[in-house]
Amino acid sequence: MINFSGVTKDYDNITAVKDLTFFVDKGEMVFITGPSGSGKTTVLKLIYYAEQPDKGTISVAGWDTEKIKESDIPFLRRNVGVVFQDFRLLDNRNVFENVAVALRIRGVNEKEIRARVFETLKSVNLRHKADAYPLRLSGGEQQRVVISRAIVANPVVVLADEPTGNLDPVTAGSVMKTFKDIHAKGTTIVIATHNRELYKNSGKRVLRLDTGVLVGEEIG
Amino acid sequence: MIPTPYAFTLALQSMIREKWINILSVLSIGSGLLIISLALFSVYNIDAATRSLPEKFSMVLYLDKDINKENVDSLVSALKKQGAVHSVRYIPKEEAMRELKAVLKNSSYVLDGLEENPLPDALEVKLTRDVVGPEAVKRLADEALKIKGVKEVEYAEKFLSALHYLKVGLKTIGIILIATLSTGIVFVCYSTVKILFYRRKEEIETFKLLGATRGFIRTPFLIEGAVIGTTGGILSLVGIFVFYYLVLLRLSVAMPIFKMILFPSTLFLPLPFLGMFLGMTGAAIALGRLRY
Repeated sequence: MINFSGVTKDYDNITAVKDLTFFVDKGEMVFITGPSGSGKTTVLKLIYYAEQPDKGTISVAGWDTEKIKESDIPFLRRNVGVVFQDFRLLDNRNVFENVAVALRIRGVNEKEIRARVFETLKSVNLRHKADAYPLRLSGGEQQRVVISRAIVANPVVVLADEPTGNLDPVTAGSVMKTFKDIHAKGTTIVIATHNRELYKNSGKRVLRLDTGVLVGEEIG
Repeated sequence: MIPTPYAFTLALQSMIREKWINILSVLSIGSGLLIISLALFSVYNIDAATRSLPEKFSMVLYLDKDINKENVDSLVSALKKQGAVHSVRYIPKEEAMRELKAVLKNSSYVLDGLEENPLPDALEVKLTRDVVGPEAVKRLADEALKIKGVKEVEYAEKFLSALHYLKVGLKTIGIILIATLSTGIVFVCYSTVKILFYRRKEEIETFKLLGATRGFIRTPFLIEGAVIGTTGGILSLVGIFVFYYLVLLRLSVAMPIFKMILFPSTLFLPLPFLGMFLGMTGAAIALGRLRY
């Protein structure tokens, strides 16, 4: 599903990722961990093509970075649901619209949008907050809105960047349960986190990065 | 690229959210188009007023004294064969004298001392409307002078030149004004869309990361440009009708000269479409130059 081969990414002479090679199988749940600045976010950005590699090749859901055209990038991104670290919620739109936007971009009809958005919000226990605006929600609720937006279009891959970063342990547990539920339906999931509690005893593969280099791989 | 209902929703939301920028743009475009309309209105009326003048224009060919009837007839038929000539009238010197006396009326006694009629026979040549320009008429006059039997050619050269340059000048001013203001309107739309784009940059970035195509991002701005332009066009249309019906028609009651003014209403009906075209052009240029 995801394949990195000798990928290097530099930002103004600072190497964010260096000669990185790994793969993620279809339906797998993988954690990428490491300290701040280790390149976790860069790896996720490379997957959804917010950044382009300086060296090496990346293949995501059949799209190859060496062959992809600029006009193809939106269609690659439609296969990838992203839970952004900074949420990227639209403050002037309510919860329903924030989630629906992922479907509107894909040209889904209004009737289906309503059905799928409400179903997704229900799955993360936010059905009752559909009319609320993001700034009126707690951090955990906002996080779940972002997750809803990432999964509402049934992407083949879901990426989550520090999904429990600012959450209390109880809310973090609830968010992780949501990811496990999505994974149980066969979705490939990649979670970047420095929180050891998330992957400890998960039985999932953990890729350990340090200064952009893959320094280890283990089972959590 | 077919706009989706959501593109219209996004455009509408943006227009409501950024109402002051949009109102300002609509007023600017409306003012620009109103000035264009007034320029067209003026040019149209001046053109209409001067359109019938060439029909009154004629060229007079004074003939040699010893020219006989056969020569005059062949001269008339030669002139009539020329495409530029509308009609030819032979004026014998006796008729010319009668006309002169009629013109002089009570002062005709000044002619009493004349022993013989000094006026020559003449041909009055009326030209077709299209030919009545200073260069064409001069060329025709030169050719007529070369014809045997024609002694002198007379026509209102200065009047023709003045009329010609007035028309050309007005047309040039009109074109420059329309081009300048149209460019200005496109620039207003360009700037508006650019401002609106930057104000929604965060949202656009999010849309992109969620898989939005360029078309999805561009369409609401094109719609917004079109709506701004069309509204400006409608505003200018209302403005020109108000100007005519509430200002000029009322003035014509007090000053009859205003009754001569023509109002070509159909000429102004495409204003909203012109506004829409200029608005979309400005938006398209802005979107083409923005990096996203």
